[in-house]
Amino acid sequence: MTEEVVVTKTVDVRGEICPYPDMKTMVALKKMKKGEVLEVLMDYPLSIERIPRSLKKKKHNLLSVVQVEGPDHRLLIEAFGLK
Amino acid sequence: MNSLLLGGLAVGIIFGFALQRGRFCMNSAFRDIITLEDFTLLKSVGAAILVTMLGFTIMSQTGAITLNPKPLFWGANMVGGFIFGIGMVLAGGCASGITYRVGEGMVGSLVAVIGLATAGTLTAMGFLKPIKDFLQSSTKIVAGEGINMTLANWLGLSHATVAYSIIVLAVILWWIFGRKNEDEVEQSDKSWAERIFKQGWNWWATGIVIGIVEMIAYLSSAAAGRNYPLGITAGWITIVKVGLPGVEASMNWVAWLVLGIIVGAAIASLIANEFKIRVPKGGVLLQIFIGSLLMGFGAVTSAGCNVTHILSGIPMLSLGSLLGGLFIVLGAWVTAWWMFVRPMQ
Repeated sequence: MTEEVVVTKTVDVRGEICPYPDMKTMVALKKMKKGEVLEVLMDYPLSIERIPRSLKKKKHNLLSVVQVEGPDHRLLIEAFGLK
Repeated sequence: MNSLLLGGLAVGIIFGFALQRGRFCMNSAFRDIITLEDFTLLKSVGAAILVTMLGFTIMSQTGAITLNPKPLFWGANMVGGFIFGIGMVLAGGCASGITYRVGEGMVGSLVAVIGLATAGTLTAMGFLKPIKDFLQSSTKIVAGEGINMTLANWLGLSHATVAYSIIVLAVILWWIFGRKNEDEVEQSDKSWAERIFKQGWNWWATGIVIGIVEMIAYLSSAAAGRNYPLGITAGWITIVKVGLPGVEASMNWVAWLVLGIIVGAAIASLIANEFKIRVPKGGVLLQIFIGSLLMGFGAVTSAGCNVTHILSGIPMLSLGSLLGGLFIVLGAWVTAWWMFVRPMQ
């Protein structure tokens, strides 16, 4: 990405067990306004593969998935905004 | 050490590798339907059951194996299965899920394995044994002297007729209803090695590989004198017994299998750069431990965890496994709804 997006909120779900990484991400997105960006720090392989499918269903926009180190990933998600 | 028992370790390593690459967890498979509306892992489980059913039927027709379906004790299957289902949602993984994740470095899963093994042992030979014995003996139904109830003998048909009918019907139903909901497969320019060792596997690839592991497991296990394919809980209980002073027990095929799963999953996660020691917070650890105690009690009471019943038992058409498996799913759904769906509404 050329320009740095403004992160509205950060959710750190590293170390959490299944399915908390997904659920906490989805709950956070549900509370956000359209266009706001959620940063998620995640280290659970299953969730990193599953979350793009869940986001698609709820029409949230996955901006990027960056591997930080090992299983640690940083996800940026633009909320669809249900409110 | 008996070289036949080493077969358990070898099969375990392959199984653990496949579980880690396929993210194959039945807790997620059943729970995701209601929490995330995600069917991916459920399709993996379905594919694994069908491939196993096909393999076992052919192997039994050719005389390579003798099918050994688990008995039906409806009360124990229902109560044990339901409690196991509640437990696995609390523990964040089914019996195979918590076992393979120990190899990924998840401390929470290690706690879950300890709980499963502890409560399993207490139900198999400790103070919880009378409850299990009562539920099993008072509700046991057999098809005949030494013959356990299966869908086939219940319907008065041969195993092969019923098994092939189920497989054909499932494929037709999938062709008509399931196929169009399939996401487009992304064209990957990655090499085969990268797709096998670095990326998570497709649902169908996982299902097929696990089905093949079941077939190899049956041959290997039977050769070692244990006429049943994959299982998990019995392996952990055996390991506890071996460690207990004053208890006569030695490592058997299934005990080596569970140790192999951890080794296989560790190898897979190290190659994929996914290994990391992860420790959940204190409250979650307590939740995991309580859940795993329920799993141990449930699995021994129902005479099987999700692997023994759903992955190994349903392909043999055991009515006990079908009922036990159904109640595992029901227990998981009720708990997942209570814990994850209800608070979101």
